[in-house]
Amino acid sequence: MEIGSLGGNLMGIIPLGDIVLYLTPLHLFMFIAILMFTFLIAISRTETQVEARFGDLKDYKLSVGLAEFKTRRFLAIICGIATAGAMITGDLFNFILFVALTGIVNIGIVSAVRQIDVLNAAFQYGLIAMMASLPLFGGGAIILAATGTLSLFELAKFTSNSMVLFGSILLLIGVAGETGIAPFFATKAEMFRTPGSPFILIIHLSSLFMIIRAIEIFLVILT
Amino acid sequence: MDLGEFWNKSANPDRIPRIFALILGLSLIAGLFVPFSLNNDQIYSRPAPQEQMLAGDRIAPYDRGGEILQTPGITAAQYPQYSEKIGMINSYMSPIAYNLKENSPYFGTSIYSSPGGLIDEILYYTRGFDTILESTILMMSFIIASWLALNFTMSRKKKND
Repeated sequence: MEIGSLGGNLMGIIPLGDIVLYLTPLHLFMFIAILMFTFLIAISRTETQVEARFGDLKDYKLSVGLAEFKTRRFLAIICGIATAGAMITGDLFNFILFVALTGIVNIGIVSAVRQIDVLNAAFQYGLIAMMASLPLFGGGAIILAATGTLSLFELAKFTSNSMVLFGSILLLIGVAGETGIAPFFATKAEMFRTPGSPFILIIHLSSLFMIIRAIEIFLVILT
Repeated sequence: MDLGEFWNKSANPDRIPRIFALILGLSLIAGLFVPFSLNNDQIYSRPAPQEQMLAGDRIAPYDRGGEILQTPGITAAQYPQYSEKIGMINSYMSPIAYNLKENSPYFGTSIYSSPGGLIDEILYYTRGFDTILESTILMMSFIIASWLALNFTMSRKKKND
């Protein structure tokens, strides 16, 4: 499928050697939306949760310390920028790297909490993200072997065969694992029970955007 | 087992990696039945290793030829119009790598992998943005790991509650 037929008219490209970023209305909109959200996160503060417990009349505040707050904010900003980069990239391997970066940073955002349940869920998510790097990069390698190129502009011209289809399925499993979409969402749902709301939200938002972009890339490659 | 029960069971974080591993394993097994064939029209090709080795090339199998800043070596690019100086520093070798090459014909691959050996322009020029991203991924993992090591192992405070 032609690149322009999915995202709208091709408005321009940003060539970085062989890696060509391209701008269509759809990609530009997603790029700006995620950057705006990242900016909102960068200037916001974390929430504080109040817990009541059995057999006790006191309220327990669960707040985020300053050092943890700073680390989380930094990782959330990197996550937002990585997602924004993945929105406009025109290269398959570049997209895979952006997905891997988002996966690692997502684990980092929750890895510093002090609740055992949340840490346990983050550990399971980390296991999936580690396993997912095999199909993620393997799928990209199979597509490269079958087509001989990684640029989406060239892949759009290539007629698909069963090897490309298999590579795409592996890539889909990899993206699903790194971003933690259904049916692997349970770990992420558990991770959200920690204070620090706006930073946690970028985990969800980046997954959503990555999946939209991944579907578009599959359409470009396969049809 | 109905669907609701399945969703409830799969909502347990401990089970998720196993489900993922199962799906991944099944699809990899299915991959054994997919006909695989390498498309020989690769953009990032390398000259066949055996040719250079049989010819007695000292930096085989990765010799791409060329003269530094004078004549370009063999480096392919998807979009040559965006990489105008391609191939110009292909043959640069650091003094250590150069001496290795002069003294022994058997260190081609180690020259290539050592820092300051042959410069792979695909890594550092045509696909340089990928290299930046790769090192960013590494840097982020080190940041996370060192933050955890500093705060959760070295200077861990006892909490009251």
